[in-house]
Amino acid sequence: MSGPEDFKIPLGPQHPALKEPESFSIALKGEKILGVDIRLGYNHRGIEKACESKSYLQAVYLIERICGICSHTHSTCFVQGVEELAGLQVPKRATYIRMIIGELERVHSHLLWLGVAGHEIGFDTLLMYSWRDREVVMDILAMVTGNRVNYGINAIGGVRRDISQEQIKDILAALKTLRERTLYYIEIASKETTIIERLSGVGILLPADAIKLNAVGPTARASGVDIDIRRDDPYAAYSEVEFKVITDNHNDVYGRTVVRMKELLESYNIIEQALAKLPEGPIAVRAPRKVPAGEVLSRYEAPRGEDLHYIKANGTEFPERVKVRAPTLANVQAVKKMLEDRYLADLPIVVAAIDPCFSCTDRLIEVKDLDQGETKILDWQKLQQLSIKYNQQRGLDFTAAGKRLQRLMEK
Amino acid sequence: MTSEEAIVTELTNKFHVLDGKTQVRRPRRIFSEVAYADFRPILDFAKDKLGFNYLNMITGLDEGDNLALYYHLSKNNAITLNIKTFVTKNNPVVKTVTDVFPSADVAERELVDLLGFKVEGLAAGSRYPLTDDWPVGEFPLRKDWKMKGEV
Amino acid sequence: MLLDLFYILVFPGFLFLSAFALWAEYFDRLVYARLQNRVGPPWFQPTADFIKLVAKADLVPTAANPTFFRLAPIIALTAVCTAFIYIPLWSTSSLFSFNGDIIVILYLLTIPTLCFFIGGWYSTSLYCRIGAVRTVTQLFAYEIPLFMGLLAPALLANSWSITEIMQFYIDHPWFWAFNLIGLIVSLIALHGKLEKAPFDIPEAETEIVAGGFTEYSGRLLAFLRMTLDIEMIVGASLLAAIFLPFGLQSGPVVGFLVYLVKVLLIVFLFSIARTIFARMRIDQMIAFCWQYVVPLAMVQLLINLILKGIIIR
Repeated sequence: MSGPEDFKIPLGPQHPALKEPESFSIALKGEKILGVDIRLGYNHRGIEKACESKSYLQAVYLIERICGICSHTHSTCFVQGVEELAGLQVPKRATYIRMIIGELERVHSHLLWLGVAGHEIGFDTLLMYSWRDREVVMDILAMVTGNRVNYGINAIGGVRRDISQEQIKDILAALKTLRERTLYYIEIASKETTIIERLSGVGILLPADAIKLNAVGPTARASGVDIDIRRDDPYAAYSEVEFKVITDNHNDVYGRTVVRMKELLESYNIIEQALAKLPEGPIAVRAPRKVPAGEVLSRYEAPRGEDLHYIKANGTEFPERVKVRAPTLANVQAVKKMLEDRYLADLPIVVAAIDPCFSCTDRLIEVKDLDQGETKILDWQKLQQLSIKYNQQRGLDFTAAGKRLQRLMEK
Repeated sequence: MTSEEAIVTELTNKFHVLDGKTQVRRPRRIFSEVAYADFRPILDFAKDKLGFNYLNMITGLDEGDNLALYYHLSKNNAITLNIKTFVTKNNPVVKTVTDVFPSADVAERELVDLLGFKVEGLAAGSRYPLTDDWPVGEFPLRKDWKMKGEV
Repeated sequence: MLLDLFYILVFPGFLFLSAFALWAEYFDRLVYARLQNRVGPPWFQPTADFIKLVAKADLVPTAANPTFFRLAPIIALTAVCTAFIYIPLWSTSSLFSFNGDIIVILYLLTIPTLCFFIGGWYSTSLYCRIGAVRTVTQLFAYEIPLFMGLLAPALLANSWSITEIMQFYIDHPWFWAFNLIGLIVSLIALHGKLEKAPFDIPEAETEIVAGGFTEYSGRLLAFLRMTLDIEMIVGASLLAAIFLPFGLQSGPVVGFLVYLVKVLLIVFLFSIARTIFARMRIDQMIAFCWQYVVPLAMVQLLINLILKGIIIR
């Protein structure tokens, strides 16, 4: 440290502004940011390697757990790839259901983002309101798929659960509430002075830079780059519904907020259209265990941008290679650009504005034994024993208490 | 002729090494394979002349004696050009593409960490995604790499 | 002597002040929660928080200067409690009053801010230092308008004593209405002093964790939080005494109730401001204070000068 006005402060791996471990090292002069170093990788769990020793069916569940928020994104992207490799004809109804869940996921993700953005600029009221409304869509997801997150609805060859007529009614009712609330948020965002002051002109990413740095998703669209996989490289049933790709030319955090809010309205439209013309028929076809050799590139428009999976099959029931590129990874370079010459106070919201999802980005659990420099995997019981031993060494022994409890239970 | 086929024709006319090695596997997916020595001019041509301005992903593959690389490019966010190239495992040296695609930075660091590529010209910086105390010479995504210790 | 001690320590001094401050924190949190569609804490939550914190160990960072680190919260708490005994609550007289007490109160209220700076600075943690620097930077933004706003009625009453200012109001009812601009200016400035959203820049959680308070724990943190609570009551009481001269002659019981209502009204206004605004950036806050709040305060001074020259004479 060379003086009080020339700081280098660490943000992370643990910090209230970050909901996931990631490390930013920020060189500061007073309140001005001179440079940012980003260290990723704290969430590396070795999922890509683990996929190689799992069957395709098991891999779906593993892939789904790459991320808690965009789980459907990854599983759909993966099963689409495998289906293409295996030459499966997925029933129409299944693709519609996938699309509906995908859009519901986008709604929940964008509402979540709105709350986080509010919190980052010290506006907790927005966080409380938008997260309350997010419960509406979470309830719908729980009703349709059985889970609030990690829906587990995708299977190779289709989906695992059907949508009934009653559920359609409930979804439509929920959409009505959500649309009302979203319009209200759009109104707040366009009128509330402190929000506009804090978001406008912050985290500028000019269109030329967005293209040069290969930004994706709402981050790119808010810089006027008109890209959306749903339209450009349609998957599921997106070629059969009508929707607008929202772009904005504010080029700043405010623009990214506007894009996400308007995308919510488009998502409601898509879900309504899909529910209206939901085709009859089966929801899945039988998938083979072994997938013929080949390779495929599967793309999906996640709430945060383009999600890419490359899958290589070798004719057995295990994939040869699975490679995942999550949207956040594509936007990390853009963040550095956005932070040039900004204030420290802008950092949280600029980082939050790309809607970063670091567990997606890092994917890849190996428990490392630091003493021997050797990697090993501990099973649950071993981990439990390790924990007990560790606590005993620190003077925390529950053996006696456990025995007492056992005696009580026996009485 | 579809636009995919037009791209393939343009590529093969310019680079004869691509003859028979470039095909459209399905709408919007072009796959291509080339030796590493011929790779860079093709990448530059695709970016400057054919309008492939997005490098979406770089995939590293372990193929026994060779380490292969897939550069996944896209044009107007629709057509993807997947160029495969390879170097030997004994000497897996490639040149960085961050001069034309700055976003490749993280992807190339990942290749270094997980598959043991050596990338020339990559700017100094922190590693990704493995921990700082990861043992030297251990590359988890290579096929011969197995978990050590208790499994 | 004994009675004085009772006044200082029990009522309306330290004990009452602490209880009222904790209850006001509960009131603030409840309003904040209800406005955000939440249930809010039970009435004893701030007290329970205080007791819990007091029971915890104090950790002093090895790199910190232990003397300043420990002294800062204690001096801050003492200063705000001292300020309280010079403020008249339900009549025109306070426990102790003399000509110039309004100036003393303003200075006593500046001490906590400086203590937050010293405590934060000597914690040596980077977050604390940035928070400390922000605290002082913010001080330059709100302190001038606060002084100007509060001294405007003094100018009108031609006295530096709060008792005499209140006496002036009794002689000239309805003159409080001319000081409304001063009230608004002082409310904004006091809000900045209390470091509440949108002026919670020195402790912006998402940027610098807890600012100057980051390294504090246990009793010292409890003192710091108590200081902020008491500062809120003292500031609100001061504003109530100087700008809202109601119920001064209606006896202690009614007067006391009116006093409570006045303070709670001010706290309520703060809660609403906290709910509806997003945090500003430090440069925006300073620009806001100097471009809008200070000119407003000047208008108030001008009005009072004209009033004094023409009407009262």
